[in-house]
Amino acid sequence: MTSQKPPSRVELLRGTLDLLILRTLLPGPSHGHAIAKHIQRTSEDLLQVETGSLYPALYRLEAGGWIAASWELSDKGKRARYYRITPKGRKQLAAEQSKWNAFVRAMGLLLEPADEDAS
Amino acid sequence: MTALLRKLRWWLQRRRKEEELREELQFHLTEEIGERQADGLSQEEATWAARRDLGNATLMREDARALWSWILLEQLAQDIRYGLRGMFRNRTFTALAALSLALGIGANTAIYSFMDAILLRSLPISDPGSLVVVKWRSRPPASSGSGHDFVMHSEDGHSYTDPSGISAAIFPYPAFERLQETSAPVLSSLFAHKLAHGVNVMINGQAELVQAEYVSGDFFRGLAVSPAAGRLIDADDDRVGAAPAAVLSSGYSERRFGGAANALGQAVVINNLPFTVIGVAPPEFFGVDPAAAPQVYVPMRVTSLLLEQIGEQAFVDQTYYWVEMMGRLQPGVDLARAEAALAAPFARWVASTAANDRERANLPALRLEAGAAGLDSLRRQYSKPLYVLLAMVGLILAIACANTANLLLARSAARAREIAVRLSLGAGRWRVVRQLLTESVLLATLSGALGIVIAVVGMRVLTQLLANGQEAFTLRADLNWHVLLVTLALSLLCGVLFGVAPALQATRPALMSKLRDRSVSQSSMRQRGARPRLAQVLVVAQIALSLLLLVAAGLFVRTLSNLQSVSLGFDRDNVLLFELNAPQAGYPEPQVADFYADLRRRLSEVPGVREVTLSHASLIRASRSHPITVRGRPTQGTRVLWTGPRFFATMQIPILRGREIAERDRQGTLPVAVVSDLFARTNFADGNPIGRRIEIAGSLSVGGAPLVFEIVGVAAEARYGGLKGTVPPVVYVPYAQIPLAQLRQMTYAMRTDSDPLRYAPAVRQIVHAADARVPVTNLKTQAADIDQTINQEIVFARLCSAFAILALTIACVGLYATMAYAAARRTNEIGLRLALGAGRRSVIWMMLRDVFVVAVVGLAIGASAAFAASRLIESFLFETKPNDPRAVALAAAILLLSALAAAYGPARRASRVDPLAALRHE
Repeated sequence: MTSQKPPSRVELLRGTLDLLILRTLLPGPSHGHAIAKHIQRTSEDLLQVETGSLYPALYRLEAGGWIAASWELSDKGKRARYYRITPKGRKQLAAEQSKWNAFVRAMGLLLEPADEDAS
Repeated sequence: MTALLRKLRWWLQRRRKEEELREELQFHLTEEIGERQADGLSQEEATWAARRDLGNATLMREDARALWSWILLEQLAQDIRYGLRGMFRNRTFTALAALSLALGIGANTAIYSFMDAILLRSLPISDPGSLVVVKWRSRPPASSGSGHDFVMHSEDGHSYTDPSGISAAIFPYPAFERLQETSAPVLSSLFAHKLAHGVNVMINGQAELVQAEYVSGDFFRGLAVSPAAGRLIDADDDRVGAAPAAVLSSGYSERRFGGAANALGQAVVINNLPFTVIGVAPPEFFGVDPAAAPQVYVPMRVTSLLLEQIGEQAFVDQTYYWVEMMGRLQPGVDLARAEAALAAPFARWVASTAANDRERANLPALRLEAGAAGLDSLRRQYSKPLYVLLAMVGLILAIACANTANLLLARSAARAREIAVRLSLGAGRWRVVRQLLTESVLLATLSGALGIVIAVVGMRVLTQLLANGQEAFTLRADLNWHVLLVTLALSLLCGVLFGVAPALQATRPALMSKLRDRSVSQSSMRQRGARPRLAQVLVVAQIALSLLLLVAAGLFVRTLSNLQSVSLGFDRDNVLLFELNAPQAGYPEPQVADFYADLRRRLSEVPGVREVTLSHASLIRASRSHPITVRGRPTQGTRVLWTGPRFFATMQIPILRGREIAERDRQGTLPVAVVSDLFARTNFADGNPIGRRIEIAGSLSVGGAPLVFEIVGVAAEARYGGLKGTVPPVVYVPYAQIPLAQLRQMTYAMRTDSDPLRYAPAVRQIVHAADARVPVTNLKTQAADIDQTINQEIVFARLCSAFAILALTIACVGLYATMAYAAARRTNEIGLRLALGAGRRSVIWMMLRDVFVVAVVGLAIGASAAFAASRLIESFLFETKPNDPRAVALAAAILLLSALAAAYGPARRASRVDPLAALRHE
């Protein structure tokens, strides 16, 4: 699950890929490739999802019951495996997101302390 | 749990899942290519980039699969397949290792199963733990002059005398009655029983001798046995004057009536008395003695008529010891309390039976013993031999384990390179160890499976060996799974220890040195120390243990051959023996002697039968003594045999003086006797007793006066009563001249022209024609009769020889493997030596010298152990010293030669290496 990308890219933190996948699927079903592309584009290419991590993550989420998969035709008319977030996945996303927000806040507080800290 | 279900589900549809995964990745790839092409790359470039981006698809699939499946399980299957392939490739190795382990496992399981059956198993009844056996114990009576020294004046049953005293489990019937009155506070029931070895049972005109148990009314209630059909004997049946009732064993009702239900209400004639079958015991019930299997149970009090000679007197005589007793403890009462409660009334009672001061000074004291396993007759007979056998098979298992260890050690050392290669290719260390572990387990499993087969076969052989043709051999042994598992675990442990430990060592990170090992094998000359040393220790251990077994085998074989070469004084070949008991079958007393004599005449008319005679027992089993005096002077240790006419001619015992007993020596003529040479020399100064008189008292007295016999002949010495011990002085008297009431069972002996057993049908037919009520029993050859008395020695000699050969073979296999391995390791060294001008002979000698040293060390250890351990089997030996130097020397010589022979093959092969090839091998 760890990636060894060139330094220009940001390494995905362990566990964040699940969060990203769930968030990506929130608007509607999507297939693996589209999920990867979406994450890459939305993060302005800062985050690169490796195929080697993506699919195991998808299966793990599916096994956990947070997403469901079905075979459907893609917009180009090819059979593709579409993933859909489940109600359980939504709950998980909400929980993970608030945890993440708390984490980001905590990191922010620690790394960029308020000015009065100088005294 | 859900993970487990998921994995299970995946496993069921894994093919479809795999296909889906492949398709999904393919779709991903196509999308990626399309996208790259849209970015302006050529199709080829796009495909290449996309593939590169996708990364290691196989690894990804593995990762995904890991989520779904048991990777461990898959690898295990792989390991097993690989292991099986490896085992098949090294067939010889596998066969040797598995077979030696299997023999160890099988032999141990078989012997231990017997031990369990004999020594440990409880009676198949409810709550056996609360049963107790009543016994007594006293100091050894100081024998002196005339009169009785001990309250037990006569006995029917076993008493055991050792230096510390006498013990027995037989009591006078009045003692049982007294104890029954007082036992209620500590025993919920107290019951008596007595095994009768042969009662004549006639059903529908077919007579046969069976074992019967005389039981008191509380027997079945006390044992808490419920009937398979009808009802069991109760207190109302066990009264004088009650209707004679009998209970049959389940097997007997099956055999004689075709089922329990059919037997109910049937009439059976037991010793010529009519009984009615009132019930059938449950199938698993075999009484209280694992050594016996009574087929008929009859109430004790109504059996007074069945009791030979004693009769009703048995129930009132306070000095005749014969009934055995068992009881069941009241809840909450322990053995010690019950013993204390019963000992006092018994002590008072037995004191009242003492006739003089000497008897009063040494009274038996009551003791209780745990009775969960029933009576201990079988334990007394077999426990020591079984412990010896168990020790032997234990040694075999040790040898087999050492051997397996050796083989595995040699192999895993040979595989060190393979392991190094695997490790360097990226296999995890744990993964490699796991694979070796799997292989060891496989080997142990194979050995275990083989071991079960060997155990089952071994138990059958052992049962046959122990029974050795005895009728009514009742030892029951079942495969003991506990010991099978224990031995299996032991072999597994040994496999793991010696198969994996070296491998673990080999998987240590210092890979490169192993990979390079081939090129630095010159150092192996010095390296030879480390691992081979362990192998040598194992070989030493094997040789030492094998020596122990060989010495034991030597001692037992010598014992047997000593016994078999004991001079009998009569000709054992071509003699057929069988027993008849006419009075028991209800033959009227005055006609018994005539019946016996008439039968003898009829049998001698059979073509091919040279001589027929009869005696009260066969010579080797006889043990009858009467007080005998010569002109009023008592003789010492004289034994008596009641014989028929032509006894000495039939047995081919030379008559030294006078004549032998003839048909004319009958009731009404002057009683005559033939005496043995020893009796003549001991009791008559001039050694010529012809015409002299001897007086025989005891049960041969007539009207209180001893019966007087005139000596008419002197016979040469012949064995009397067993092969061991000294031959006693013997007096032979005609059965036809003793008081007829004394006549009971007789043993016929027929000297035949050819194989005696060919005459068996004729014998049965003639006896049946003479009187169908009288069954022929114990029909066998004289040779078999003698062999049965030394059965234990025969079993020991055979088993131990087999064990010794086994041990020797296994040890040689181990040695061979070690040598082959050492030779392989030293190929370069040997090549170098040969290249430098060493002769092939000197190479062979160099290799053998190592073996010689190892063997001598092993022999030295083994010999000292043998000297120490052989005392344990001293009591099993006959005219052989436990540390017989010849046996030890012979065993050592055999072992040394076998060791050198086993090592010679590999050594010779090593000496044949092409020096150039060996050196180029670098």
